[in-house]
Amino acid sequence: MTVTSLTARPAPAPAPRVAPRNLARLLWVELRHNAMPLVLPLIAVLFWFDSYRIAATLPPLWVVRLYYILGQGHALIDFAPFVAGVAAWMGSRDGRRGMGDLVTATVRPRWEAQLATWAATAIWAVGAYLVVMAVTLALLGRSVAWGGPPWWPVAADAVGIAAFASLGFTLGACFPSRFIAPMAAFGGLFAMAISSQTGFSASGGWALILPTMSNGNFGQDAGIFYQWLPDLPIDRVIFAAGVAVAAAGLLGLRPAAGGLRLRHCAAVVTVTGAAASVAAVVLAFTAQLGPYGVVIPALHDAASDRPVRYTPACGHAGIPVCLQPAYRPYLPDVTAALRPLIGEVAGLPGAPVRASQVAAVFAGGPGVQIGPASVGQILTLSGSPPALYMPLGAMALPNSFGADTAGFIDQIKVEAVHTLVTSGGAYGNPAQQAVEAALLQKAGIPPADQPSAMSTTPWPLMGGGPRSAAKYPPAIAAAARRFAALPTATRHAWLAAHLAALRAGHLTLAQLP
Amino acid sequence: MNVELTELTRKFGRTRAVAGVTLEAGPGVFGLLGPNGAGKTSLLRMMATVLPPTSGTLRLLGRDPGSYGPRREIRRRLGYLPQSLGYYPGFTVAEFVEYFALLKDMPPGRVPRAVAAAIEHVGLGDRARAKLRTLSGGMLRRVGIAQAIVNEPELLLLDEPTAGLDPEQRVAFRALLREFGKRATVIVSTHLVEDVAAACTEVTLMDAGRLVFHGTPGELIAQGEGHGVGDAPLERGYSAVLAAARS
Repeated sequence: MTVTSLTARPAPAPAPRVAPRNLARLLWVELRHNAMPLVLPLIAVLFWFDSYRIAATLPPLWVVRLYYILGQGHALIDFAPFVAGVAAWMGSRDGRRGMGDLVTATVRPRWEAQLATWAATAIWAVGAYLVVMAVTLALLGRSVAWGGPPWWPVAADAVGIAAFASLGFTLGACFPSRFIAPMAAFGGLFAMAISSQTGFSASGGWALILPTMSNGNFGQDAGIFYQWLPDLPIDRVIFAAGVAVAAAGLLGLRPAAGGLRLRHCAAVVTVTGAAASVAAVVLAFTAQLGPYGVVIPALHDAASDRPVRYTPACGHAGIPVCLQPAYRPYLPDVTAALRPLIGEVAGLPGAPVRASQVAAVFAGGPGVQIGPASVGQILTLSGSPPALYMPLGAMALPNSFGADTAGFIDQIKVEAVHTLVTSGGAYGNPAQQAVEAALLQKAGIPPADQPSAMSTTPWPLMGGGPRSAAKYPPAIAAAARRFAALPTATRHAWLAAHLAALRAGHLTLAQLP
Repeated sequence: MNVELTELTRKFGRTRAVAGVTLEAGPGVFGLLGPNGAGKTSLLRMMATVLPPTSGTLRLLGRDPGSYGPRREIRRRLGYLPQSLGYYPGFTVAEFVEYFALLKDMPPGRVPRAVAAAIEHVGLGDRARAKLRTLSGGMLRRVGIAQAIVNEPELLLLDEPTAGLDPEQRVAFRALLREFGKRATVIVSTHLVEDVAAACTEVTLMDAGRLVFHGTPGELIAQGEGHGVGDAPLERGYSAVLAAARS
């Protein structure tokens, strides 16, 4: 049946393109009506409880406090599930609300309109993260004596949040239902849980790309003695940005997304994002553990290897004691630990004439796995005249995960005596153990407490050592009591005559006075 | 012609929702009548460029909506109110209409005035700042009409636009249709024959995916004289035509 009616009009000329201003306005409308702000208070509370509350109790060093928040990925764990869930809710909005036909029948390609909603969601999520981190850094920084926070790990987390927003949004847009938001949130939580578990156990390779992979990531003295190495965070930024872009591109591949050209463009975006993510994983496989952290040759800047300049903070414990200024809060503890010991050995040949802090570094190199086993140094005595070198960053600082000031002071005493008497990493022979026990007793650690004080020492377990036996063998304990009971002048004179032979392991228990 | 359909067909699986419809329409108000499942909504969705036809040709506003560029230009000049209007509960009336003005790529300078005018046209000026979740069903329908007319379309497709409107609003809405019909092609799918009688210059009756009648409301009334079933003359014409088509 054919119907004719009234007059036909000539087709009007195409309207001028007005995209940018309209897009900005569209984004503004989406920002005003985004669901993300509704969950931000919840995220903030969770972040305070899970991340900030604990980090604030840790030693006042950027590297320690941010290792917990950024290195172990707690910030991302707090944000990601909620961000993924809300993003899925926003992505599924048109489908849930039955807006498909209405939106499709408009001029703007569906992909463009969806990208505006996605951008608003990501802006809220990333913006909230940046604000939370800014406040956190400001609060944490109040008690930090020296240095500044690392920015690349913050950026890596921010881009990671954008990636979760993108994944959640695309999931919601592709499978719109009221259940998609909790499913996406659970998926985000599950992904972070897997990432956490793998991050703690894996030792390198692809797992380095995981946001919760902390092994080799935060050098113990990064930002203090040496620069924060940005290689791994940059790689993670590339990976997360690739995921975010690829997920956003996927939205544009659907037939309803727009015209053929636009879908081709979406395909290019998707492939580019995926390629970036794959490239980042490939780069992670090339990572090596250097002394200051993970080095990725293709991303490494030699400027990052320059040492950090500083003016040491010094005190006196019978000898000058100098620390990196970031460790200034620990100067009283260090001098308190060294003073009684220096009092016992001052003037002896081979005794230190000064004590200086040195950097705690990763014992890396080709073939060395990236993992906690490669961490750990002790106090050393070297040079002429001898100096005591203290890698405090490798020690359990007060308030770090259960450690206290008394334990920290005892640890310094134990390591200082150990390096003075044995000059090595392993337990000494019985004569060395006995002298060590006597000196520790004079330095304020009773024999009964010494096995406990040694429990955190990194030198290896050996049969007969107090650490493994929980007490000294009777012969060593008796010799230690005898040596400690000597008058100070006698003990000092004997050490002056025999310290070199004792350190070389040439003396037996019977040769002790 | 603003609308040119030739043997337009749409299948959903084995079901032919629209079966070879041929139709031409210029400016004016067209009533699209038919029982449930007649294919009215599918026909409107194809004309709204959201549903591609299975076969046949479709030209809207002198363009082929099968190609992306022309389709964009059609959509720029199109107003569409679907049968079931989705909405964002948190948006205000003004924001919702503005949102669609932006999606229709209207020049930014024109948007505020166009939004205000569309809202006034549907009698919601005093509720412009009300959240959509607070509105009644009839008011939501009027919001849907406002978003459809905000870009002053040359082709306005309205699927059950008066469902939920009170009598006073329906009278006002018919006046709006007549006003638009002077310069645009308005196609109204409805069950309410009084809307057709009051506002439409032409009426098309569909059954089982096919066009079974086209003419003026007067001609439809004439079809029912003497043997139609219904309370109103137009209803008698409607039932008579359907009975004839099915016999």
